[in-house]
Amino acid sequence: MALGLTLAACGSKNDSGSGGTTTGGGTSQAAAKLKIGLAYDIGGRGDQSFNDSAARGLDKAKSEFGIDVKELEAAAGETDAQKEDRLRQLAEGGYTTIIAVGFAYETAVEKTAKDFPEVKFAIIDSAGPSADNVANLTFAEQEGSFLVGVAAALKSKTGNVGFIGGVNVPLIQKFEVGFTAGVKAAKADATVQVKYLTQPPDFTGFNDPAKGETAAKGMFDAGADIVYAAAGGSGNGVFKTAKANGKFGIGVDSDQYNLPALADVKDVIITSMIKEVDVAVYDFITSVKDGKFAKGEKVYDLKAGGIDYATSGGKIDDIKSKIDEYKAKITSGEIKVPSTK
Amino acid sequence: MTVGGLSVGLETTPTRRGKRLSPMVYLLVAVGALLVLSAVRALSGATDLTSSGTVQAALTAAVPLAMAALAGLWAERAGVVNIGLEGMMVLGTFGAGYAGYQWGPWAGVVFGLFLGIVGGLLHAVATVTFGVDHIISGVAINLLAPGAALFLSKLYFADAPGGGQKQSPRIEDAAKVTLPGFSDLMGTIEGKRWFFVSDLAGVLRGLTTEISLLTLLAVVLIVATGWVLWRTPFGLRLRSCGESPSAAESLGVNVYKYKYLAVTASGAFAGLGGAFLAVSSGQFRDGQTGGRGFIGLAAMIFGNWRPGGLATGAGLFGYTDAMALRGSNAVHALLLLLGIALVVVAVLQYRSGHNVLSGVAAVIGVLFGWWYFTSDQVPPELIGAAPYVVTLLVLGLASQRLRPPKFVGEPYRKGHAV
Repeated sequence: MALGLTLAACGSKNDSGSGGTTTGGGTSQAAAKLKIGLAYDIGGRGDQSFNDSAARGLDKAKSEFGIDVKELEAAAGETDAQKEDRLRQLAEGGYTTIIAVGFAYETAVEKTAKDFPEVKFAIIDSAGPSADNVANLTFAEQEGSFLVGVAAALKSKTGNVGFIGGVNVPLIQKFEVGFTAGVKAAKADATVQVKYLTQPPDFTGFNDPAKGETAAKGMFDAGADIVYAAAGGSGNGVFKTAKANGKFGIGVDSDQYNLPALADVKDVIITSMIKEVDVAVYDFITSVKDGKFAKGEKVYDLKAGGIDYATSGGKIDDIKSKIDEYKAKITSGEIKVPSTK
Repeated sequence: MTVGGLSVGLETTPTRRGKRLSPMVYLLVAVGALLVLSAVRALSGATDLTSSGTVQAALTAAVPLAMAALAGLWAERAGVVNIGLEGMMVLGTFGAGYAGYQWGPWAGVVFGLFLGIVGGLLHAVATVTFGVDHIISGVAINLLAPGAALFLSKLYFADAPGGGQKQSPRIEDAAKVTLPGFSDLMGTIEGKRWFFVSDLAGVLRGLTTEISLLTLLAVVLIVATGWVLWRTPFGLRLRSCGESPSAAESLGVNVYKYKYLAVTASGAFAGLGGAFLAVSSGQFRDGQTGGRGFIGLAAMIFGNWRPGGLATGAGLFGYTDAMALRGSNAVHALLLLLGIALVVVAVLQYRSGHNVLSGVAAVIGVLFGWWYFTSDQVPPELIGAAPYVVTLLVLGLASQRLRPPKFVGEPYRKGHAV
């Protein structure tokens, strides 16, 4: 769920309609306005991560188009039925465009979209639900993970790097597969240690820094010197133990070097795999506003600018040209990064 | 992993031979366990079984569990079931987040403890004063506390720099201490991979390197609890409320007062457990406790409602947890370890005449051994379950020796002798 990303800048500008408040005016003017409902994944607005990225896209659209927005939050450990209720609530409340943030909404979107054919849905991170009124906004995380894998291989002194996934689900496996492919491409004999913190349906692996710390310490003890954390909030523990042991980490989803919450460990974050959820949300709202809603999957990859890697902090400046070579090969199609094992 | 010599004041129960095990016996058991561990380590090559890193990780994981177990012990020894531990821990994590990021880790610990007391008092008012069913009150607290923590975190953390609606800004970690010289010496010996000696060195190094002051405080609290509950008149009266409150009442003990004190202390310990968790992970996060309160309760039952036992239980949970998170080949070696342990149990049970139990243990033990020798690794889906499998087995095989306080969970009204 909240795939660990964090966004700077967002922690402070809240208040703009968090926790289910309707902003953007009363009922009198609502008829003329586009009504957008957005359902967050666990973590919600202010997670300095995945959800915050979606919130930024929404905020941008709101300030530019003056749309009517309602945001609802998810709770930890809820069922599919609760997620479905949330979407229904939005649809019945007259919100004709609904964005579901996170693959956890798969089943809920599938069912709700059937009952409200006139409402346009978007689901982020899932290619699953398919209907005439559903857009699937997915990301080629494996491509960005490939690039940070190259960075890890080139920067590692021990030839041993680690991958820590929050929860063992197909979405996070994409990160792992891409990362491993990148490491091997740059240094064929390098070792990649892989660990998932929890197995579904236990999703606490995205939210338990103590577990991230233990797993990362184990990898460092076993010889790794750089660990890629695709584990949401648990990544904080990875960076903390990296700092304590004089090792390094790689962030995920947003440029974690610049996150205020990680300010005291930022010097161990050599790069981050960036996933522009805000771009996807903003694009989607724009398309609906312009009457150009398109059903089906839209993949945000390296080429489309939906995925990238971060250079903040200057730790990988010396190998940037090499990483960019791989980047060019991926965008040109010369390298095809696998997304499944 | 067990904290040796903590089992102060073991109660003698009439059903067993009333012999008190001496510290020497515990030492022998510990040495024996380590010997088996070393053998498995040497056989499987899974050095992580006894490495100092594993011991450190196990200790860190065990501390919040031990605090939750201690919280359960205080309440249940006075006759009140406290299933609300999880909720009280959540309050503790929030308290630590709130005070911790502003005034440092120790302020966080104190504030977490204070919020835990609030949770404990709530449980005491419901169960002792109003006679509400203990389970219902506990469940209510488990539902109420996360909601309250979330509400407060939205209120206080959303605008704080580095915070969010569901997470606090960073809390500084408490200071860590290392035994100078000794730790390095042990490190050298550990690196040699000598049978038993290196394993012992690994464990000792783990216990003396980078130990958080919070961990030391936890050890002190466990020892202090054993002393207060089993070596003072206060403790005797408190435990009598859990064994036979009407008898205690007839002897002039103010049962309500003792129950209140015990449940409040229980809340305080649970709050401390939450605070330790938040401080050592560097922040408060919504849903961070992840069931640790319930596991703590299981550790207490495992420990037969005694401080030394619950420390062992928490250590065992912490150990398997650390193992599951650190590497899969060590978990694979655990299969063999479990197999051997079960065979030992089978032999012991057979000698004391429990033939059926002995047979069951032997069969399961042999199965584990067979699984070990016919596989290369444990499927990742099962690794996370390792701590719970171990617990189920141990609880299942040891349950006949467990003895909860006689009056635990029963409603007690003053003046209504049962």
